[in-house]
This record gives sequence, structure tokens and C-alpha cells, in this order.
Amino acid sequence: MGIWGDLLLTSVFIAVVSLALFWMAAFTLWWQMHAWRTPEVLASTRFSRPDGGEHVSFSLLLPARHEQAVLDHTIQRLLESTHTDFEIIVIVGHDDPETTAVAEAAAERDPRVRVVVDTHEKKNKPKAMNTALPHCRGDVVGVFDAEDQVHPELLAHVDHAFRTTGADVVQGGVQLINFHSSWYSLRNCLEYFFWFRSRLHLHAQKGFIPLGGNTVFVRTDVLREADGWDPNCLAEDCDLGVRLSSVGKQVVVAYDSDMVTKEETPGSLMSLLKQRTRWNQGFLQVYRKKDWRQLPTFGQRLLARYTLMTPFMQAFTGLIIPLNIVIAVFLDVPVSVAFITFLPAVTALVTFVFEVVGLHDFGKQYGLRVRFVHYLKLIAGGPFYQVLLAGAAVRAVWREQRGRNDWELTSHVGAHLDHAETRAGTARDLREDVPA
Amino acid sequence: MTSTLPAVTTLKVPAQRQPVPTQRSTSRTEPPSRLRSSRPDLILCCLLLVAILVVQGWNIADYPTLSDDEGTYLAQAWAVQEGRGLAHYTYWYDHPPLGWIQIALLTWIPAALSPDSMTVGTMRAAMLVISAVSAVLVYVLGRRLSLPRWAAGLGMVLFGLSPLSVVLQREIFLDNLAVMWTLLAFALAASPSRHLWHHFGAGIAAATAVLTKETMLFVLPAVFVTMWRHSHRDTRKFALTGAVTACALIGLSYPLFALLKGELFPGSGHVSLWDGIKYQMTRPGSGFILDQGSGSWGVLQSWLYYDRVLIVGGLAGGLLLLLTWRWSVTARALAGPSCAVVILALVAMRPSGYLPAMYVIQALPFLALVLAGGTASVAHAVLRRRRSEGEKRYVTGARYALAAVLALAACAYVVPRWYDGARTAVTADANAPYQAASKWLSTEVADPASTRVLVDDALWLDLVHAGYEPGLGAIWFYKADLDPAVTKTMPRGWKDLDYVVASPTVRRDAVDLPGVRAAMEHSTPVAVFGTGDDRVEIRQIQTASGGVR
Repeated sequence: MGIWGDLLLTSVFIAVVSLALFWMAAFTLWWQMHAWRTPEVLASTRFSRPDGGEHVSFSLLLPARHEQAVLDHTIQRLLESTHTDFEIIVIVGHDDPETTAVAEAAAERDPRVRVVVDTHEKKNKPKAMNTALPHCRGDVVGVFDAEDQVHPELLAHVDHAFRTTGADVVQGGVQLINFHSSWYSLRNCLEYFFWFRSRLHLHAQKGFIPLGGNTVFVRTDVLREADGWDPNCLAEDCDLGVRLSSVGKQVVVAYDSDMVTKEETPGSLMSLLKQRTRWNQGFLQVYRKKDWRQLPTFGQRLLARYTLMTPFMQAFTGLIIPLNIVIAVFLDVPVSVAFITFLPAVTALVTFVFEVVGLHDFGKQYGLRVRFVHYLKLIAGGPFYQVLLAGAAVRAVWREQRGRNDWELTSHVGAHLDHAETRAGTARDLREDVPA
Repeated sequence: MTSTLPAVTTLKVPAQRQPVPTQRSTSRTEPPSRLRSSRPDLILCCLLLVAILVVQGWNIADYPTLSDDEGTYLAQAWAVQEGRGLAHYTYWYDHPPLGWIQIALLTWIPAALSPDSMTVGTMRAAMLVISAVSAVLVYVLGRRLSLPRWAAGLGMVLFGLSPLSVVLQREIFLDNLAVMWTLLAFALAASPSRHLWHHFGAGIAAATAVLTKETMLFVLPAVFVTMWRHSHRDTRKFALTGAVTACALIGLSYPLFALLKGELFPGSGHVSLWDGIKYQMTRPGSGFILDQGSGSWGVLQSWLYYDRVLIVGGLAGGLLLLLTWRWSVTARALAGPSCAVVILALVAMRPSGYLPAMYVIQALPFLALVLAGGTASVAHAVLRRRRSEGEKRYVTGARYALAAVLALAACAYVVPRWYDGARTAVTADANAPYQAASKWLSTEVADPASTRVLVDDALWLDLVHAGYEPGLGAIWFYKADLDPAVTKTMPRGWKDLDYVVASPTVRRDAVDLPGVRAAMEHSTPVAVFGTGDDRVEIRQIQTASGGVR
């Protein structure tokens, strides 16, 4: 072998890793930009205007745990919906008297609000929703979170979407709004923007979709047939989507900046890390449940495999790219091989640029002022966010290995609500977090 | 928080493809969304392509005269094929190497089948592929820019059959390859589907064009204009930034390449990209183009000698489209090509710039399209402008009569001139002296392997195939003065040489090259082919004692 053999081996290894990373990043980028491929695709991602007819009745599930500060506001806003046929089922825990009191008060004021008490010893969101499922009277079950800001016309649009497309599931947009809060919330908001604005539509089109945690609407009979949510899965929303799309249920995704459900990013880096860990662990669980193997085509199964493994590949990519370039520059490899090592960096750069443009579009869509410093933060924060994602991925694998799959709590500060009172009230609020 | 954007929900079904209202105004000739499935377009395009290939391909090896630059690029392509690096002498960042890498790829199979065919005359045939692709792209671009079928065909004819085009597109110039990539960039920028990745691809194609021939940088704004006009308001910012990013990243690969080789900045003992750029930027100017007697004036006259129609007509067409911008749909549709023509014209008018004869190549497709567009605009004005439903029949008749007169007059002017140009192109034999010199050197010299010859680039590959040592046996004549790696093998100067092949190029440049000049002075012709200024002399070096080395 000698020095030549070693160099050749190094070169081949670097080239193979670089090309693999390049294709991964290129595919991710391709999918991330799905909605903007052509003006026609972009137009098709929106809700169509409702025609006034209302034929679908809704049961809106509102799981609430230690949410007494925001719950009433959310219920009031839901009750302002223009749709005429819906009920709100607030699910509270038997060990949470404060939230229960707020829910009971709302139920007394308006007959459309009902309260279901979850008596499970260990509580989590899928168990709470499964408790409420038998009580649903509507044709369609919708899920919201206690701190969600829901647009009054959303139900009418969803109704229309169900009728005109014959869908089994309609997923509306969810958007984190408080991009100005911190460097990571900026990136977090943008992540949601690309996911709900663009990537989910591709999944819907391909027939494999991990659903979001809220603003998701499922036909009640379909949901009951599927036995509701998996109480043991950390990403029960993703799991439901995978199970439904794997048996061929039709999912429609619609995103309108007017119609999205607005949320807030986790209040601290640690809670973001926990949320992401749970999300990753959930994806890993869904992957191991193998429901996606029922998907009919090879391409769909490949997409499923890739999507569910994405967090781990992401972690891998973020660490390997810089390492690769360092090797290429400092090790005496041929120029052509050194060139190849730059390929993943090139895709990363293109992704960066599209993120900057995405941030601009985000600001335009939501009428928010994005300042120059935000663009700087977006770029400077990129590598650190990558480290965070990598950390969450590693942590998820570690927890899954150790068999720890309990729900970690995430605190919410209500930064997306513009009422001073709510902000003050929710500052120390603890609740179970919801992944996208 | 509420959104400031009005809900744009005029559409029916989510998750389905549907048309969005286009922003184009009252375009009267909407091109078919898929040219591939339009039979009349295919037939017209194929017929014109055959005509172009026949005129350009017939007699391609013998006319025009072999150019030194052709020899340079083909020899470097040969070096790439042979695995000798980017050039058989030190690559010194004179041009980005992508151009002759493409030539190497293009000629790979014929060169592998028959190594001797790797000479300038023979390999000109490869340029037919480039001409064909470019001509088809001109047609496609014309259609995508909403020209009617006949006008797009006219553009293709102007581009492919103008005597100026026929001469220049036959030659192995990097500019011809760059034009192909630029046209691809334009065609993708004007893609009717307005696909994000088509625009991204346009950026990549534009960068490839620049890396093929760096002067294409001037045309990039015109690509941008085209993309801007053809993208949709909702997706424009993604499309345009995507394209610019792609273009910049691909373009940066060239400095990155220099960096990885440690040749980005000047330093002792190696060439550098910096020095290469400095050389190109500080080339002595050839004077103001309209200043009679300047070098640029001479270049302009040489273009006009071959064809006035395309150059004068194209510039006039560009002017017409600019002036009628407000009223003419065609003028707005052709904004990109007009913009390219204007930029290239302004660059050519720099008072002290260097204007090479190949410069016009990159303007040819845009001159052709703009002239075709101007013609379409005039035709529309004559036939349709202010035409009402109840127009009297004799008025309509007069319109058609006027159009016919104009068309006949144009034909009467153009056809005889072009016919002469095409006849020269398919019959003239301009390279007989070169071929004879090549034959002489491969048959009359006893021991080519140990013979050292100064030769111009056009003949160099012939000598290599005849058995001379590439680089130091067969020597590009100016390397004897300019390349330290070559001069150090000639410690006794001209006395270390055996022959000088004094072609017109060598005689012209010897004035500035003392070594070559000395070799010329100390040699006598042993064979002369051709007469007058075009003659090629084979001169044998005479040592002071009167004998040969």
C-alpha cells in the first residue's frame, strides 16, 4: 500500500462521504423549496375560498394542562369562529383543578363547550385525546393546543376543503411567530415556515405525511377506525399521519398566512432542546413501528425512511461538513477530490441563501418588520443551531437506548400573544409540549 | 397579529395544480407551452437546422483560414485528453480552462478512434454540434420570448446563415461554446413553466458560459432582465436569488481551483490567477471603434466585410425596439436580447479597450433575435396596427402589398450578398498552404523526434502527430521567447533550433519576439507554399558557418 495507497484510500473515502452528503443536502433543499417551484404550485398550497355552504360538523379537542392563564382566551377566540356547527371539548386532568375551573366556567357560559376529565395516572397528550374521542359528536375531529390563536374563518375553510377534495385529513398551517425573541427562535420560526409552507405539501402530494400536532382535522370515523392516537408514542401526531397515509387515506395540506394557527417558540434553549429531543425520539419510534412499510411504492417508502431519519442525518451533516473541508485543505489530496469536498458546503450555502429569502418572505406574509440584524442573526446562528439539532439528535438516540420515553415538560411564555395580561399570566406556565 | 397581505384565495381546490393569471399583457402570439409537441415548430426548426448544417459543414476544414487561437484551444484540449494537465505548457490562467475541457470532451471519441484526426481542420466538424445546439436554442428562445413562428425562424436563419456567422461559427473558438451556454441560460430564464430549478439552472448555465469565455460576464445583466420579466411576482425573489446564487457559486469555483492549487495570488516561481486577470485587464487597447485607422476600426471593417445585414440591421433593430418600448409588445418581450445588444455595443465602444475579432461572436444570437423581433414589430405595424373590424378591403390589400414590397426589397438586398458568402464558404480552399506545409514537415524531415521547430499553434498538432516531441520539439513559436520552461532548453537561442514555420501569424508576431525574429533572420526558406501574404514558408536555420545545425 504505502503512502500512495493511504492517500488513495483517504481520497476515495472523502469523495464518497462528500457526495453522499451532497445528495442528501440537495434532496432536502429540493423538498424544502417545493412550494416555490412554480407559481402554480404556490397557488395550490393555499386554502380555496369557501362557498358559504356548511356540511361538516366539528369536534374541536383542546387538551389543556396547567394552562389556566391562556385557556379562556383560546376558547373565546375559538367560539368566535364563523362556522355554525362545532363543539369544543376541553380535556383537563383530574389533578389540575385550576385549569378545570377555567374550563368549567367556559362550559357554563356557552353550551358549545364541554369538559372531559382525563384520569390517567401518567398523563400525556395522546392519552388525553383518546379519552375524549368517544365523546366527539362531530363528523370531523380537530385538534388545537391551549395557547393557539385560531383564525375565526379557519373552520369554514377546512369545511370547504373537506367537501371539495374528499379528503380524510386536512392539515392547516401552524406558524411560530415570535422570531424577534432570540437567535434560536428566529431559526425555529423559519423552520416552521419552510415545513408548513412548503415541505408538508410535498409530503401530501407524495402520499406520505407526518402530521402536525395541531390544526389537524381528521374525519371522526377514520380516526376511530385507526384507534385514535398511539398513547406510547412521543410523536403521536407524526405517527397518526404515517399510519393514515400508509393505508392510503388522503391528506390535504393548506397554508394561508391569514389562516395559520400562531404559536410561540420554546422559552429557553433548554426547552427547545428537550422539545427537539422528544420530537426526534418520536420520529425514531415511528420509524421502528414500521407502519410506513405498508406504503405501496418504493419511492414512498424511501421518502418515509429518509424523512423519519432526517434528524440524525442532519446531525451527521452538520458535523461532517466542516471536518471534511478541513481534511481537504490540510491533507494533501488531489485538487479534484478537494473540489468534491466543497460540494456539500455549496448546497449548505444555497440553503442559507434561500433561508434569507424565506425570512424576507415570512416578514412580508405576516406583516412583520424583519430588520437587517435579524438576517445577520439568521446567518450567524446557523452553525450553532446545527449544533443544537445535532445535540438533540444524539440525546434522542441516547434516551431511546436507555428506554426513557416519558414526556419532558416545556415552558411557554406566551410571547406570541399581544395581550399584556396573558403574557404576565403565562410567564411561569408549564405544559406538555407539542411538536410540529 | 394580523397579516397585511390580502387573502389570495380565488382558487378552487387545495393540493392541486392550477393556472395562476399570468402577468403578461396582451401578447398576440402566445407560444405553445411545449414546443416539443408542436409539429409546425418542429418541422420548421428541423428544416432550418439542416440548411444551417449544410452551409456551415460543407468545406469546413478548408475555409476560413486556420486561426492561431483555434490551434491553441485544440492543442490544450489534446493536452487534457492526454492527461497532461490543463495545457501542455504551464497553464497560466489566461482563460478559465472550462472551454477547452469541453472541447476535449466533445472530441474525445473521434480522437480516441483516430488520434491523427486531432488537428484543427478535422476537428472543426465538432463545432457543428455546438452550432446546431445554439441555432435550435435561438429558435426556442425566440418562441419563448413570444415571437411568432416565422420570426423565430428568421432569427435562427440570421444567426446560422449570415456569412459572418458561417465564418466564425466554423472555427474552434471558446466564444462559440460560451454562446451556447448563454443561450441555454436565456432559454431557461424564459422557461414558460417558471420553475424555480429552471431559473437555478439558468444561473448555472450562465456561470458555465462565463467560465467558458470570461467576456460573457457582460451579458449576465441581460439574462437577469429576461428572468425578471419571465418570473411570477409570487415566486420571483426565490427564483432570482436562486439563479444569482447558483451563478456566483459556480463562478467562484474558478478562484477556488486556483486557491487549492496555491495559485490565487502572485508569488515567485509560479503563475497565478491574479496575474492572469491583470494581463487580460491591461492588454494594450486597440483604439476607438469609430476612429478610422485604429485597430478596433479594422476589426469592425472585417466584420462588415462579411455581413452588414446582421450587424447594422441588428443594431437598428435594437434601437427600434428600445424606442418603441412603450407601445410594442414585441419590444418588451425582447428586453433581454435588446439589453445584451446594447451592453455589447457600449463595451465595444470603449475608447481604449481591446477588441478582438471574436468579440462579435457573443453578439450574434442577440443581433439575430433583435433583428427578427424588429422585423416582427414592423410587420405587425404594417399589417395590424389600427386595423378595425370593418376596414375597407383595399386598405387591407394595401397593407399586404406594402408588406410584400418590404419583404421583397429586403430579400433583394440580402440574398445576393449571402449567396456569395455561402458560395465562398463551401468552395474556397484557404488552407492549402497549411496542409502542404504539414505534409512536407511530416515527410521530408528525416528525424522528427529529434528536430526542433518553431511553429504556430494551428499547425502544432499536425507536427505532434508526425512524431515531433510535443512542447520542446514542436514549439509554439512565442513560447520560445515567453515561457521560461522553454527558453532554458535553448541556451544558444536560435542556434538550438532546426526550422521555423513562418506562417502569416508567425511573421506578424515576430516583430515583438526577439528570439523568433532572430530565428527568422538566420534561416532560409526550403519550401514555400502559397503566395503573397498568405504564404507559409518552411525556413531552415543556418548556423554562422553556413551549414545547418
